[in-house]
Amino acid sequence: MVYITSWDDFAERSIQLFRADPESTRYVMKYRHCDGKLVLKVTDNRECLKFKSDQAQDAKKMEKLNNIFFTLMARGPEVDTSEVAGKEQMEQPAKKGRGRKQ
Amino acid sequence: MVVLQPDPFLNELTSMFEHSTENGSVWVTLKRSSMKSKVKRNKMKSAGEVIEYRCLIRATDGKKTISTSVGAKDHQRFQASYATILKAHMTALKKRERKDKRKSAEADKKQEGSKKRSSAAKASV
Repeated sequence: MVYITSWDDFAERSIQLFRADPESTRYVMKYRHCDGKLVLKVTDNRECLKFKSDQAQDAKKMEKLNNIFFTLMARGPEVDTSEVAGKEQMEQPAKKGRGRKQ
Repeated sequence: MVVLQPDPFLNELTSMFEHSTENGSVWVTLKRSSMKSKVKRNKMKSAGEVIEYRCLIRATDGKKTISTSVGAKDHQRFQASYATILKAHMTALKKRERKDKRKSAEADKKQEGSKKRSSAAKASV
């Protein structure tokens, strides 16, 4: 078992792994505060993809991957995730709109 | 394992993060699940019923396990709160390495100082 060093590689392969077998693939995040370490794991019990980091910038990337996995798991593996990142940006102006109604 | 509603789950998760700052880890697992047993799923399949899937979220600190599930309608609100909690508690990760060495040295000193202060505060509690 080797850690994948490239984030993009890890993200792409983990989504592929989930799409190939949505019912048995899980996505695990481990955070260890005292060592400042973050480990992500995606496995379908046959293949295992892991990524580790101690960088805050990778936590931001992880947030996007979290959103992709929440969407895929709650809505279904067929859902197009390319719009997941875009949706957040769209939500913000909508909130502003609600505030202006006075 | 305790299955909680999303909001109590997030509260519990927050306290797990708060209790594992000195030692220990927190694990959070996401999995697509129908929340039904295999027997029931098979029965539903043979009856031609549509099996509804949700996203199951489990969290553990090694001592206690909690879980919740979100569906297609409520996952966006949950994932936003979850992201906020992670951002608030993943403070031990390193910031991007700076090109200016002097600045980074200063930042290190500041970090050490704040660590000492926080450990002193904990010791006094």
